[in-house]
Amino acid sequence: MPAGELVVETRGLSKRYGNTVLAVDQLDLNVHRGEVYGFLGPNGAGKTTTLRMLLGLIRPTAGSATVAGHAPGDPAGLARIGAIIETPAFYPYLSGWDNLKVVADYAGVPDSRLADALEQVELTPRAKTKFSTYSMGMKQRLGVAAALIKEPELLILDEPTNGLDPQGMIDMRKLIVELGKGDRTVLVSSHLLGEVEQMCTRIGVIQDGKLVAEGTIGELRGAATLTVRAAPVSQAQMVLTRMLGADAVIQRDGAFRLRVDAGRAAEVNRELVTAGVEVSELVSGQRSLEDVFIELTGTEGGL
Amino acid sequence: MNVLGVLQGEFLKLRKRPAVWVCIGILLLLLLAFGYLLSWIVFTYTKPPTGPNGVPPGVTYADLKKGLYPLHFIQNTLNGGTQLGGVLALIIGVLSQGSEYGWGTVKTAFTQRPRRLEWLAGKLVSVALTMLVMTLLLLAMAALTSFVLATIDGGDRTWPAAVVILKGILSAWLIYCFWGFFGFGLATLFRQSAMAIGLGLAYALVIEALIFGLLSQFVGDPVRKVQQWFPLANAQYLIQSFGPPTREVGANPRPPFADATHAVTMLLLYCVAFVILSAVFLQRRDVTS
Ligand SMILES: Nc1ncnc2c1ncn2[C@@H]1O[C@H](COP(=O)(O)OP(=O)(O)O)[C@@H](O)[C@H]1O
Ligand SMILES: [Mg+2]
Repeated sequence: MPAGELVVETRGLSKRYGNTVLAVDQLDLNVHRGEVYGFLGPNGAGKTTTLRMLLGLIRPTAGSATVAGHAPGDPAGLARIGAIIETPAFYPYLSGWDNLKVVADYAGVPDSRLADALEQVELTPRAKTKFSTYSMGMKQRLGVAAALIKEPELLILDEPTNGLDPQGMIDMRKLIVELGKGDRTVLVSSHLLGEVEQMCTRIGVIQDGKLVAEGTIGELRGAATLTVRAAPVSQAQMVLTRMLGADAVIQRDGAFRLRVDAGRAAEVNRELVTAGVEVSELVSGQRSLEDVFIELTGTEGGL
Repeated sequence: MNVLGVLQGEFLKLRKRPAVWVCIGILLLLLLAFGYLLSWIVFTYTKPPTGPNGVPPGVTYADLKKGLYPLHFIQNTLNGGTQLGGVLALIIGVLSQGSEYGWGTVKTAFTQRPRRLEWLAGKLVSVALTMLVMTLLLLAMAALTSFVLATIDGGDRTWPAAVVILKGILSAWLIYCFWGFFGFGLATLFRQSAMAIGLGLAYALVIEALIFGLLSQFVGDPVRKVQQWFPLANAQYLIQSFGPPTREVGANPRPPFADATHAVTMLLLYCVAFVILSAVFLQRRDVTS
């Protein structure tokens, strides 16, 4: 667990839309200063809803959040946050430059920062053309430029590679890694495990509104696991479940994956054999992040 | 502090937005064409019709023409420019807010720094100032045109008293602000432009113009007593307080049902009501788009 100041901290954060949809359920998120934090979850998991709550766009039904040292939506906090939620939204009849100027006026930021921000996202040549003529990638980059003019200590980016072509995705990921260098904190959401793995130092996995895991990639992959092949399967399942609990036993491809320390291999073997189950394979190994993700979310996660 | 930043941003958005200039341009052109040039041509080159539809007995076109000269430019502009002008002010008010929802820029605005109500204040001030610009351009054009026409005719080039001009500016501004804020409030309520413009026009045309217009003709004073609490009627009282329209010179027009003080109070109250409505909805609702 990296020590350090929390830039984003939520406690029991929840959002219910109407009476039925519990979009975010008791979320305890911890983002430390300087991290590139990947907020990973399949579509509809509650990522956007959470990020909107962090920015004060949506009021939580329950729970609390502190973002950049302030309550969500507080001007003092917003002044230190740059954000893109879903697709970047600007005024179509204004040029990229004028759009940035509007944002700078709103944010109380001097115009002298505009040129730098445009340069950083390589949009200078198109600064004078209308936003409505921009490609998706350019719109996304203008969004990043608008987020950067505040020189924010926290960047909140909601699925910033969505809708980009493959080259655009690669460029955006590089840019995010670049932006996350130094003291700046980046909170980036994604439904793509692979890209989170590439960009992020820590990950929070959200599924059906609940945070099902949070940690560094190493922590998430966890200690070694055991893979067991045994017959008859149903009886093996029973024994393993009784021994380790249903949560620790995952059956896949005719084998059991046990979320248990490899040191207990002998014990597992003995229990199975004692119960009359024939063990044909028992190997320990570390799970891939993909396995972790699939186990946690029950989806392929866009892989 | 934050409000000033919003105001600066809003000015940039309004100044560079073609729709705003199209609305103001249309208004100027229509008043110029129908409020001045067409009347002037008719009065100069045709003879008054006789019979029941003609001008009142003893009145000549030369008398009517005086209504086009500088002395009457305030009255003429208020009569000719505040009804259509109101509709265009409504559109400007609707677009100012409705487009933010249409383009999804509400979330962009709310994540910069200003509080929601600071943003609202900046927007409303910018709409009000746009209305002032529209008022001043319209009156300036009317003044200039009336002066040119009087010069061509060798007619009277006396200006109205300064206080009348000032009252005229404030009245037109107030009426436009009512319309602008009405549109802004509707757009906030519906979070879009189309519904807001449609319902705003339907209200003006159907409720006030058609229903009240018909009823007050057939039922008379009891209807007018109700009508006096409605905004368009009050805009009309305010306009009438500057005297009867110039084309009714010599006729015996009915005095307005209520005076200018009543009209100004009511219109201001409506403006305040729309501001409060917008503030409540903006402050309370989640931004999910
Ligand atoms: N405005 C809304 N009204 C009702 N339900 C919503 C609304 N926005 C999102 N939801 C629901 O909340 C859940 C989470 O959505 P969202 O936060 O957009 O997920 P993600 O960004 O992870 O794809 C989904 O089930 C979605 O259908
Ligand atoms: Mg989303």
